[in-house]
Amino acid sequence: MNRIEWTGGTPHWTNKGEIRLFLWQKAASPKVPHAGTILFVHGSSMASQPTFDLSVPGRPNSSVMDWFAERGFDTWCMDNEGYGRSDKQRAINCDISNGADDLIAGSDYIRQVSGASRLLVYGISSGALKAALFAQRHPERVARLALDAFVWTGEGSPTLAERRKKLPDFLAKNRRPIDRAFVHSIFNRDHPGCADEATVEAFADAILTLDDSMPTGTYVDMCSKLPLVDPQKISAPTLIMRGEFDGIAALDDLLAFYRSLPSTNKQFSIMQGISHASFQQKNYLMVYHILHAFFAMPEPQYKG
Amino acid sequence: MLWSEEHFVMREDVRLYVYRKRATAPVPGQAVLPVLFLVHGSTVSGRNTYDLHVPGSEDYSVMDHFAAKGYDVWTVDHEGYGRSSWSGRGNSDIRTGARDLASVIPFVLEKTGAQQVRMFGSSSGALRACLYTQAHPDKVERLGLSALVYTGAGSPTLEQRRKKLPEYSSSPRRKVDLAFYEGMFNRDKPGSSEATVPRAIADAELPLVSEVPTGTYVDMCANLPVASPEALPCPTLIIRGEFDGIAAEPDLLDFFARLPNKDKQFVALSGIAHNPMMGVQRHKFYHALESFLAMRF
Repeated sequence: MNRIEWTGGTPHWTNKGEIRLFLWQKAASPKVPHAGTILFVHGSSMASQPTFDLSVPGRPNSSVMDWFAERGFDTWCMDNEGYGRSDKQRAINCDISNGADDLIAGSDYIRQVSGASRLLVYGISSGALKAALFAQRHPERVARLALDAFVWTGEGSPTLAERRKKLPDFLAKNRRPIDRAFVHSIFNRDHPGCADEATVEAFADAILTLDDSMPTGTYVDMCSKLPLVDPQKISAPTLIMRGEFDGIAALDDLLAFYRSLPSTNKQFSIMQGISHASFQQKNYLMVYHILHAFFAMPEPQYKG
Repeated sequence: MLWSEEHFVMREDVRLYVYRKRATAPVPGQAVLPVLFLVHGSTVSGRNTYDLHVPGSEDYSVMDHFAAKGYDVWTVDHEGYGRSSWSGRGNSDIRTGARDLASVIPFVLEKTGAQQVRMFGSSSGALRACLYTQAHPDKVERLGLSALVYTGAGSPTLEQRRKKLPEYSSSPRRKVDLAFYEGMFNRDKPGSSEATVPRAIADAELPLVSEVPTGTYVDMCANLPVASPEALPCPTLIIRGEFDGIAAEPDLLDFFARLPNKDKQFVALSGIAHNPMMGVQRHKFYHALESFLAMRF
């Protein structure tokens, strides 16, 4: 296995009580006007750098952090408790609520260091649930919210129906082992062919460099405790990003969530040729484009 | 200074006025620019909707905006509107408008050398654009729709308009004047547009027409749904203004859910009423449409 080293960014550390949390920053290019500060939030089965700062030979703009940094965004991601370089010693399963607490600590730090008062927050899969819960708890910190591979109630979700069969296993322990075959299964379960082999292998190398097991909390939550967020309490302008083949949620579930969002700045994008892990798939530049268009939308001058 | 030209295209005995703008004049052998075709609504003609100039204000011309971005931008005045002729038959309803497009688009493709157009329509123009795309799916690469209505269920604007349906049904044309244009901008949310806009429309339109066809009003009051989302195969964008009373959001989400293409977007924009390109927040409309038209894979 190739062990991955990350370069070109700045590591940071902050604390949530006794817990040390790792953050990774790739600063905005000084060559273009400043466009905002982004916090990327990872999912259930990988830490932050593999997801958001993945280098793949021959794959231009593979790192979404680099791509946005070149366009003037100060970009940050963080490893939630139990993942990557952040502390893993507590005997807990690091559920979604705990992850939202991590984002409170992380955003405290980012706001202090960067001077940004409000963040552009992107979350994927259970990271979208953490991000949405964070936005619900701290609306004053979230300028815009992008939810990719999101699920609300879980009704009609094929992926969660399958995952629920293993719920007793997930409930019985705080961590679950992962390996290369597991990473492949993320890309094969919905629609094989959405990602190229080199990217999946590089992604697996990056994930396995940092972790050989993952917390079970987000899986338990998604299998047995949904809904965890209330759309009516999310006031930030919100983008729902839905992969064409994503099995994590039924379309009706997401449209019902969208309908309940009170913001009058909201978008729903279906992403062609995408299943569940959008940034690692063949159409990743289309995903960047959709996210960038939302984050770069001019602020309203007239609010009625 | 942008380059422009005017044409007339015949649909049977109807002379349809076609207007084109682009950054520079076309040069033989030059690479084909992406073509954006703009479809107007029920009341204001194509050129005066999409190439509107408001004294003292900037950026009202959608044609100028996209021409400067590298598009070859076109629009048409439908039968009975603006500079186009009026046959005296029918009421220039939505289906007639789609037939206008079927006459004009082949001309546009021939003149530009493009294989397909990117089409945008607003209000009943969105419905004309849908019907054209349904009938000619091979000609439309990407489709942008704003101020759309599907079944009309829950629409406050159509509920009001329906009170005058007997009048619209009994005559092929209806009167327009400055007061009517002002009503278009004030009915949903006064303040969401500048007061100078209806005056600019009146200055541009009233030298050309004093009345416009009733067909699209009759269709939207009595004949919805006229478009079938299931029959629109291309990538599609729906732009929904926060204050737009022409449709209820559930009606539009139902339309969105039925679109078969998996490259589709639903964009709700705050501060915008029924005419997104003519409001104070028009830059948000530009951003949303431009992002969609320029989607990369």
